[in-house]
Order: sequence, then structure tokens, then C-alpha cells
Amino acid sequence: MAGGGGNAENGEPEFQIAPMIDVLLVLLIFFMSITTTQVLKIDQDIRLPVAADAKKKESSNVMYEAALNVKWTPNSQQADIKLDTMEIPEEEIVGILNQRKATNPTYRVVIRADKAVPAVEIQRAMTIIGQAGIDDISFSTLNQE
Amino acid sequence: MSGHTPGRKTRGIESDSVNMGFQIAPMIDVVFVIMLFFMVMAGAVKVERELKTTLPGMAPPSLDKPQEMPDEILVTVEETGVVTLNEEEFDSSESKDLPNFTSTLVLLKQEADNRGAKVLVTIEAEEQAKYERVIDVLNSMAKAKISNVTFTVGSDNLF
Repeated sequence: MAGGGGNAENGEPEFQIAPMIDVLLVLLIFFMSITTTQVLKIDQDIRLPVAADAKKKESSNVMYEAALNVKWTPNSQQADIKLDTMEIPEEEIVGILNQRKATNPTYRVVIRADKAVPAVEIQRAMTIIGQAGIDDISFSTLNQE
Repeated sequence: MSGHTPGRKTRGIESDSVNMGFQIAPMIDVVFVIMLFFMVMAGAVKVERELKTTLPGMAPPSLDKPQEMPDEILVTVEETGVVTLNEEEFDSSESKDLPNFTSTLVLLKQEADNRGAKVLVTIEAEEQAKYERVIDVLNSMAKAKISNVTFTVGSDNLF
């Protein structure tokens, strides 16, 4: 049995360190990958509302969708609407979305609004989307607090 | 500390020649700590999900087959957080899960499904109603598997 269980001169198999490191590294890479990909998607400035029964996002859609971020500033009681990360006037947002909808008829928009935003600001965001001729929209939420 | 006994000296020389380079034990310690960190983080991960809806009035009506009249339900969300279904108040304004409201929606949906009718829900929110409360209502719709939801703010503009 030479070489089978390591240095087995006294009858006890020796602890094998190499396979253990292999397993540890695989586990490490697994946990690193699931945390980083999911944490990065969350914009820390916007506190999304919680909806436990909402559906999971389909990753294949990401290429054909825009995010309309509605940020709420409680001090000034003001809501800022951004298209993805671009802070541009509403007319320009309508123009850009219109263009994208023309090139891709299945284009959709996700509304990512702060939970403290009044409903009238959501209506403003929906008016922009409606003016761009897009009817497929969804509201972004979190699975837990 | 240089080994005086012959046995210890031999061991010292042996370990010097073998373990001079890479130290495995501290590496395992570090890997363990990092792995524990990521394992704990994985449990608290927040995943972004979505509640789907469509803006009405975009698709042209199909003329091929006769349109069935859907069951219309009017849900209002007030500034105080009160939710009403066809002008009847459900649950308290603090209740996030809206259990009575959700169970009523489920029953209405089942009843409409049995008849083969569609359910059309209109959510009418007051201008200063919190978006969070609207999402609570949309979450109840998702629970009841109602997909035809329109959203309006105030009383005139329908989206």
C-alpha cells in the first residue's frame, strides 16, 4: 500500500492537504461569485421597496431594457429622474427611449424608484415612458429588507 | 536554540530544506476566514426583482374575435396608507402584507377564472400616496396572479 494513504508507516493514514485546498478554493470562488454579481446590481442611493412575491429578473432581458431611476431627496422634497446613470432633461429621455424603441420593438423600461417617492412622481416617470411609445414596463423591488 | 541532541538537529535540517518556501497552514487560515465571510454575506444578499405591468392603450384592439367584458376592480390607495377595494376598506394602514385584501383578490380571480372571464384591476393612488404602499398593492396582485393592472394617480390621467 505504498503511496496510497500517504505516510502510513504506523498504520494511520496521513492527512492530505492538497485536495482540501482544492475544495476550499472551489467553495471560495463559488461564494465570491454569487455575492459580487448580486450586490453590484443594487444602487445604494435608491432605497427600493420590498415585494417578496415579485418575480426574479430575467438576465437575458438586460440588454434590451433601460432603468429609469427615481431618486427622492427628503430635505428638498424633490424627485430626480435619471435614465440609467444619465441626468438629462425629460424631453431628451423621451427622445432617447423613442430611438431605442424604434430600433428594437421589444424594448422595455424598469422603474427603479425610492420607496418614499409620492405616487405623482411615478406618474411622471410613466408619462415619459408613455410618450416614448413603450408599453412594457416593470417596477423594481427587493426580495427582503 | 540550535539543536544540541542529534535527533533534533536532523529534524531541523530536514524541515529547513522542505518548508523554506510556501507555508500552507496560514494560507488555509486565510482562505477559511475569507470563505466564512462570503458564506455569511451570501445569506444577507438582496436580490432585485420586478413587478411587471403594461401601459394600456398602446396595442390596437383585435377585431377578429369578439371582446369579452372583463371584471373590473377599482383599488384605491390613500395618502394615509388605507387601501380600498371597490370602495370597501381592507386591512389597517400599517399592514404591509394586506392579508384580507390579498385573500379577497385571490377569491375574485378564482371566481373569474371559473367563468373564463378576465380580471382588470385599476389602481388609483392619491397624488401624495407613498410609492411603497402602491408596491404593497402590486405585490398582492402578484400573489393573486392578476396581471392586467393599470395604474392611475389622481382621478383623471390613466396609465
